[in-house]
Amino acid sequence: MDSLVAQYTRPAFSEAGQSQEEQQGLSQASPELSLKFALPPVAQSASWLRAMTDDYSNPNCPIKIAHGTTTLAFRFKGGIIVATDSRATAGNWIASQTVKKVIEINNCLLGTMAGGAADCQYWLAFLGMQCRLHELRHKRRISVAAASKILANLVYSYKGMGLSMGTMCAGVTPQEGPALYYIDSDGTRLAGNLFCVGSGQTFAYGVLDAQYQYDLSDEDALELGRRSILAATHRDAYSGGFINLYHVKEDGWVKHGFNDTNPMFWKTKLEKGEFSNVTADLV
Amino acid sequence: MPGFDFSNHNRNAALHAQGVPLPKATSTGTTIVGCLFNGGVVIAADTRATSGPIVADKNCEKLHYIAPQIWCAGAGTAADTEFTTAIISSNLELHALSTGRKPRVVTCMTMLKQHLFRYQGYIGAYLVVAGVDPTGAHLFTVHAHGSTDKLPYVTMGSGSLAAMSVFETQWKNDLTKDAAVKLCSDAIMAGIFNDLGSGSNVDVAIITEEKATLLRNFITPNVRQPKERNYRFQRGTTAILNEKLITREEISKYITVHELEDDNVTAAAETMDVDQ
Amino acid sequence: MASVFTGAPPQGGPGYSFKQTPTVALSGERQHSFYPYTDNGGSTLGISGADFTILAGDTRSTHGYNINTRYAPKLFKIGGEGPENKGSRIVLSVVGFAADGDALKERLDTIVKMYKYQHGKSITVAACAQRLSHILYNKRFFPYYVHAILGGIDEDGKGALYSYDPVGSYEREQCRAAGAAASLIMPFLDNQVNLKNQYEPGSGTGHDLQAKLAQPLPRKDVEDLVRDAFTSAVERHIEVGDGLQMMIITKDGIEETFTPLKKD
Repeated sequence: MDSLVAQYTRPAFSEAGQSQEEQQGLSQASPELSLKFALPPVAQSASWLRAMTDDYSNPNCPIKIAHGTTTLAFRFKGGIIVATDSRATAGNWIASQTVKKVIEINNCLLGTMAGGAADCQYWLAFLGMQCRLHELRHKRRISVAAASKILANLVYSYKGMGLSMGTMCAGVTPQEGPALYYIDSDGTRLAGNLFCVGSGQTFAYGVLDAQYQYDLSDEDALELGRRSILAATHRDAYSGGFINLYHVKEDGWVKHGFNDTNPMFWKTKLEKGEFSNVTADLV
Repeated sequence: MPGFDFSNHNRNAALHAQGVPLPKATSTGTTIVGCLFNGGVVIAADTRATSGPIVADKNCEKLHYIAPQIWCAGAGTAADTEFTTAIISSNLELHALSTGRKPRVVTCMTMLKQHLFRYQGYIGAYLVVAGVDPTGAHLFTVHAHGSTDKLPYVTMGSGSLAAMSVFETQWKNDLTKDAAVKLCSDAIMAGIFNDLGSGSNVDVAIITEEKATLLRNFITPNVRQPKERNYRFQRGTTAILNEKLITREEISKYITVHELEDDNVTAAAETMDVDQ
Repeated sequence: MASVFTGAPPQGGPGYSFKQTPTVALSGERQHSFYPYTDNGGSTLGISGADFTILAGDTRSTHGYNINTRYAPKLFKIGGEGPENKGSRIVLSVVGFAADGDALKERLDTIVKMYKYQHGKSITVAACAQRLSHILYNKRFFPYYVHAILGGIDEDGKGALYSYDPVGSYEREQCRAAGAAASLIMPFLDNQVNLKNQYEPGSGTGHDLQAKLAQPLPRKDVEDLVRDAFTSAVERHIEVGDGLQMMIITKDGIEETFTPLKKD
């Protein structure tokens, strides 16, 4: 009889208050970067999430997640150039023009942000933590190959859950020299000399592939990175704002400004005669 | 045969089924009411027109003229109420001319319902028809699909429930004209404040045996709060890449130019209802 | 009597002209019957100054064309002492789905209070901002349907303002509008606070014209801008109205003001 009763009853207020785990989470001293995520109470949580948040397949989805856009990085003789735009869009809405899409993982490792802004921010911060732990455990700095693999394995474990990120890891270590990796949320991990990621990637590749040489001087390399992003912001509506430029060298990265694209565009046009398709003449 | 062009209907229906959104039509939310009284009939409306959650017009007119002593309040798609009432008004005028009698409210109501029924609800006009004719004062509602009602007090639009609650608690038989105007404007106010689709001012039309009176902006309970700051830009604030001057002689080749008496006065045709 | 009008709610797509809105989503995706969210409308706004931060929000809560209540605060003090949050210097504003907003506020408040018990000092805004990001991201696969803005005073005594997307990407900014009327208010703020598209008159011709540089605004000017932003949003957005709640955070504490707005 008791088993029968137990089958059809449940303790009153079982849902009330917080679970042991939740309470622990609240009282935890350090704000941990947790790997425990709340899931919706449905069987197909991934497709549910897509229905709620994927503004590409469903423009009327209720939750619009901020997306990042044009990023590039390339290896050359003087190190690695990393450049990004700064626009975040949620559907047709420009959510921000001042996003920092280059994430400083530590003083010689950089990550870039394309796809879901929150995914990139969170997991690159998580990667920064793992890199620091690696340093403490092994008493030497982590290689770029190892760091990028931590991220690739991590996103692969969430494959199909709806993460959206296309990121590049750039860094210089004594054993590898300048190293550049591309990692995306499908689990792809590629080493390479040159990558452009995001909705404006094709426009950036157009300029970058035409001008790229391994023997570029530092000034020319910075200028090429800047000009490639400018081309992308000009033709891709989802890219724009400011150009964020970094140069990764043997003794760490150097920041080369966060500059507005509008005056930069007019300067490029008027002083160099480029963008001649644009005219301010009246008919 | 004159009428509507349906050649894009199948294409649009197919696009719509694939999830392409429809172009937004103005105004679905509205409160309109009507009430009979001793010696005539009153109708009233709010003045908000919306496009989704955005207010498209803060002071639009929802009371439409049909005949000298027949007026109509419209809810639903703004263009449909506007044109449906205009068509019926014109046909009713011809009818009155050919019969040599004053038009009747039932005639107007019948023409409206026949017109709307023919279009199976695709003309999104929801109307309150009111008027006085030789047979007395009448009040009707006409729905987009063609059904009609004849009642002593009626409400329509998204604010109809708020407005009806006022009628159901306060309506009495044999109202005086002033009491009916008060009751109708109270009902509209209930819609204005409790329904997000309705807002701004109250318009009232009173029709008696002698005449029809339109009280435009009878109550204005929602005047804009004055702005705290002055947003006038200093001349030269906007960047200009290039300029081109067009002389009066040159532009006169294409359009007619009228001289203004005083530079400070804008021409009457150009004045707009704007916030100060 | 058949006078019940079936108008489409503001969110539900067009309910006119065509018989019904599409019931299947694009690309033949399965429509999920589990829909735990509603939009309660309303708008919030935050501006930071040299030594203060102002957060503001209207107090209307809506559902479709109906008003749930004319006074539902969207601004919450975080931390401080007891249920009244005495002595707090951080304010959270949330707009979107009110129940999620409440849950989020409750969570952050508890964490910030626990922080003080465990560390013997109040949390900094920067730390609180990062923690809020993590709370939001912890529900990455079942998001809080909210746009959050966090305001306070940073360790240098300057006004600090952080804005968030529903899953926790965040950024420190000068000003931010969120919610139903964000698209109406944000361009106004870009122009008046960050002086976008404004140039110094007479500073040159053509491309030599110098853009105006944004300075931190004095408190009185910011309060006026906030009120103007809201009285204007009320004019043109049906989900905004009833009341304006403002919280001004300075080193001396949080001042709270309430201004009535139009109720139509």
